[in-house]
Amino acid sequence: MSVAVAVGVDVGSTTCKAVILDGSGAVLASHVEPTHPRIEDQARRVIAALRDQVGAGELPVGSTGYGRKRVPGARALTEITCHARGAFRLVGKGGVLVDMGGQDTKVIRLGPAGDVADFAMNDKCAAGTGRFLEVILGRLQVPWPEVAPLVRGASRAVPVSSTCTVFAESEVISLVAQGEPLDGIVRGLHQSLATRVAALAGREVDGEVFMSGGVALNDAMVEALALALGRPVRVLPTPQLVGAIGAALSAR
Amino acid sequence: MRTAYIAKQRAEHGRKAVTVLPVHYPKEILTAMGLLAVELWGPPGAPVSAEAGRLQPYVCAVVRNALAFLASGRADAVDAALFPHTCDSIQGLATLVKDFGGWNRPAFVFQHPRGASRASGRSYYLRELRALADGLAEVAGAPLDLGRLRDAVQLHRRVDEARADLLDHRRHLPMDDAALYALLRRGEWLWPDDHLRELSEARATLQPEPVQRGVGVMITGYVPEPAALFARLGEAGAVVVADDYAAVGRRVIRPAAKLDYTDPFEVMAALYWAAPPCPTRASDQGERMRHLVGLYDRSGAQGVIVHEQKFCEPELFDVAAIKRTFADRGAKLLYLEGELETELSGQSTTRIEAFVEMVSAARRSA
Amino acid sequence: MIHRRRIEFEVAGRVVGPALAAFERAKKATRGKRAPKKDSPFGPPLEATRKLKELMTTHYLKGRYADGAVPVAWVTSGFPVEILRPLGFHAVYPENHAALCSVQRLVPELSDVIEKDGYARDLCAYARTDIGSVVSGKTPVGRLPRPDLLCCCTNICQTVLYWYRALAAHFQVPLFVLDTPFIYGSAPAHHQQYVRDQLEELVTIAEKVSGAHATPDELADVVRTAREGTRLWGQCLEQSRAKPAPWTGFDGFFHIAPIVTLRGTAACNDYYRMLRDELADRVARGVGGIKDERHRLLWDNLPIWFDVRGMSTLLAERGFNFVCTSYTNAWAEAGSKIDPADPIGSAVVAYTHIILNQDLPNRLEILSRLSRDYSVDGAVLHSDRSCKPYSIGQIDLKQRLSRDLGIRVHVLEADHGDPRAYAAEQAEGRLTAFMESFS
Repeated sequence: MSVAVAVGVDVGSTTCKAVILDGSGAVLASHVEPTHPRIEDQARRVIAALRDQVGAGELPVGSTGYGRKRVPGARALTEITCHARGAFRLVGKGGVLVDMGGQDTKVIRLGPAGDVADFAMNDKCAAGTGRFLEVILGRLQVPWPEVAPLVRGASRAVPVSSTCTVFAESEVISLVAQGEPLDGIVRGLHQSLATRVAALAGREVDGEVFMSGGVALNDAMVEALALALGRPVRVLPTPQLVGAIGAALSAR
Repeated sequence: MRTAYIAKQRAEHGRKAVTVLPVHYPKEILTAMGLLAVELWGPPGAPVSAEAGRLQPYVCAVVRNALAFLASGRADAVDAALFPHTCDSIQGLATLVKDFGGWNRPAFVFQHPRGASRASGRSYYLRELRALADGLAEVAGAPLDLGRLRDAVQLHRRVDEARADLLDHRRHLPMDDAALYALLRRGEWLWPDDHLRELSEARATLQPEPVQRGVGVMITGYVPEPAALFARLGEAGAVVVADDYAAVGRRVIRPAAKLDYTDPFEVMAALYWAAPPCPTRASDQGERMRHLVGLYDRSGAQGVIVHEQKFCEPELFDVAAIKRTFADRGAKLLYLEGELETELSGQSTTRIEAFVEMVSAARRSA
Repeated sequence: MIHRRRIEFEVAGRVVGPALAAFERAKKATRGKRAPKKDSPFGPPLEATRKLKELMTTHYLKGRYADGAVPVAWVTSGFPVEILRPLGFHAVYPENHAALCSVQRLVPELSDVIEKDGYARDLCAYARTDIGSVVSGKTPVGRLPRPDLLCCCTNICQTVLYWYRALAAHFQVPLFVLDTPFIYGSAPAHHQQYVRDQLEELVTIAEKVSGAHATPDELADVVRTAREGTRLWGQCLEQSRAKPAPWTGFDGFFHIAPIVTLRGTAACNDYYRMLRDELADRVARGVGGIKDERHRLLWDNLPIWFDVRGMSTLLAERGFNFVCTSYTNAWAEAGSKIDPADPIGSAVVAYTHIILNQDLPNRLEILSRLSRDYSVDGAVLHSDRSCKPYSIGQIDLKQRLSRDLGIRVHVLEADHGDPRAYAAEQAEGRLTAFMESFS
């Protein structure tokens, strides 16, 4: 087994992700768990667990995410910089990274050398994030594994026009009451979210589009985003860990 | 702090006070008439009274908070209020408090002309200045004296020169942004002589060599709130090297030609149109973009921060043009939007830090 | 020598436009006579509407050929167009175009185009629609002619300044700003002089851009026509003092188009004569805009363009009609003060003393007067999210109106152009509750 050289911790508002990397930047071990309010304790525990798993001693730590400044002894950088570094490590070229988490969405334009050329964040309002789908699909009682097949099977999308999650929820309930097909509504929801994310990406989407974050595990969302952007979307391997990888790469 | 100062000015100098809404107004006239201008930019935070509910939530926080503040008696230390005709919301606020309750003391409006300098506008501006002076005479207890106006105009020119000196030589000033902006913003309520004294003390610390090493950014926007923004920028390793805030840099006038002070009113008119372009005066948009580019280039800034308050129409209509202008030059830009909070949100902090990280990396690889 | 483009422009206006409208009518007729819905809460449709469509179709069709044929000006609704007309300008009204786009539910698409560039969605829906249309080239009217001159007047709001500055930067054409200081109480002499001086500057610039010159008689003629048109429009509105009102307030929102966009033309006046006569006839026969008028309401602020039909039906079904609106009334007031004997001097007074350029006590007075004259039982104040000048003060106005006049007042949260800013179910629920409170 290769030698561990750095640890990266991405303390998001929903989940805490951590990785331990070797000299080539490959992930030796990883860990994902819901974020605790006592971030310092959680970070210490998770870092120790990863080190034990690979038999490593003290290592430089990089941190990112909402709780980045509360990871003891870590070099803290924003999730923009870390997601860019992590994504570049995985793809080796420039492009546009769309990271969709539970409570925020980021679009990062990567230069050919992996530099951050530009970025946009939608984190003020749930309607542009994974939360939007979570809330409404939860209300409709559609389990996650059924979402992608449901959307693919829909003959058309039922448009959901509300731009606010709360109003969209009541709009969807109305649509169901009016007899609109559930699969069409769920497709409409994905389309609605994809349109907002595409707007965040702005007019010039240059190069390949990559996707990371928990929402990338939802195939229906990946497809809806590809449609909205008018180009293929490539989901990165280990999409949830991209930020933590970038943080680890920045630790040294 | 301000209330004590206002009381002191009254007790020691016999000066009455006038609360003034943003943005552009003839400070010189108030100074000449012995009136202390106390600007009201909010205040930031949650509205201080339920009176804010008389304005819908889609009216900007500057105006809603001002309504709450005025109508709840918080501004009762002053003797009058002045509402420049800055935008539809301030226009509406003036009639709301004067006519439907909320401000029982004298209220004045100052309707500065829009657009480029024209014969109609210049002639009107001179009369509007005089009309304001006539109105304020009752509050001041005496009419405007031309000699005192001349002195006031020259005093405010010295204040502007001092502010310009500090802003233009930012890197040579051993003062962090938080302290510099706090100093500059005290000009919103200090008697100009007191403000000039503080500015001069700061000028005396200017170094021959640059002392600020951070990556330089330019900021354009409405008002620098929350002030914590500057601490965050500093911690991230950035320094503000060019300022186009409506509340700050956009009111620092650097006239191109030498001024003839014979007629102070004519000087004020010349200064009005020589001020940096501002959408609240309907300055030509192309001219404004050229001004911003010039400011950016002269300062050596590495990025632009556009810092706006939600619902502020005059500012928001220019954002697309600013983004396009700087994108065309390959300059990095961060857009921040606030609602006049007192604290910097986690989201804004992350955006600022990410922006500085991005710009610093570009600077290193350049 | 007559320019080819000019010929196209004239033919479009005199022949093609009316022919197109006739064709549309014939198409509808051949689809089979549609039996009027038995359960419709509305009275019979107005005959005049056909002519209205023809007028507006012709106007927009002419527009397609205007640039290069005649001087083109894009103007705000409150601008003294009488000064431009005698110089041969074709006037385009971006606000009217935006209203049309909103009725056709095109605003989100047009706004999205420029939101990507950094325009905030909170900005005036008219402005976003217009700038979005200009930038994308998309419009439901085929094509809008390029302006040679942009003219904005701040008597309706300050927002037009920021909007038209952006247009000026895009088109690289001169922008004339008619800056009308807001009237707090009464207008001081130097404010009026300022407006007068600007009007004289306008004449100079407009003559330069158009290459034309208007004699005092030509200007007086247009002013006379515009004043007559305004009075005729006022007469149409006044028909609603009758019980039942012969048309709905929402009809008024559509029939206002000529006085806004074609003011000063003979076609506009002919149209309103016809409309007035039809309305007067309905009054004589007791025919109402809605079948069962039980309650009469006042509407304040701009229409909710994307839901006029829906809202109209919601109200009509319960026997409610808007018999007067501050918006349609504004167009019966301003132009009535212009005077062919003193076009410039009277324009100073007429174009500054309009509802949106005067203080809240004046607004309250207008709303109160309308409420009394039209015998209303209640009022709906449209709290228009993207129109602050018209919406500021409504909370206080609601209180004062209900206290002073003893009527029920409802504040309805919506937007004039963007359906995304409207929570339809919630708003309709509250409006329904308001209507139920009358029984």
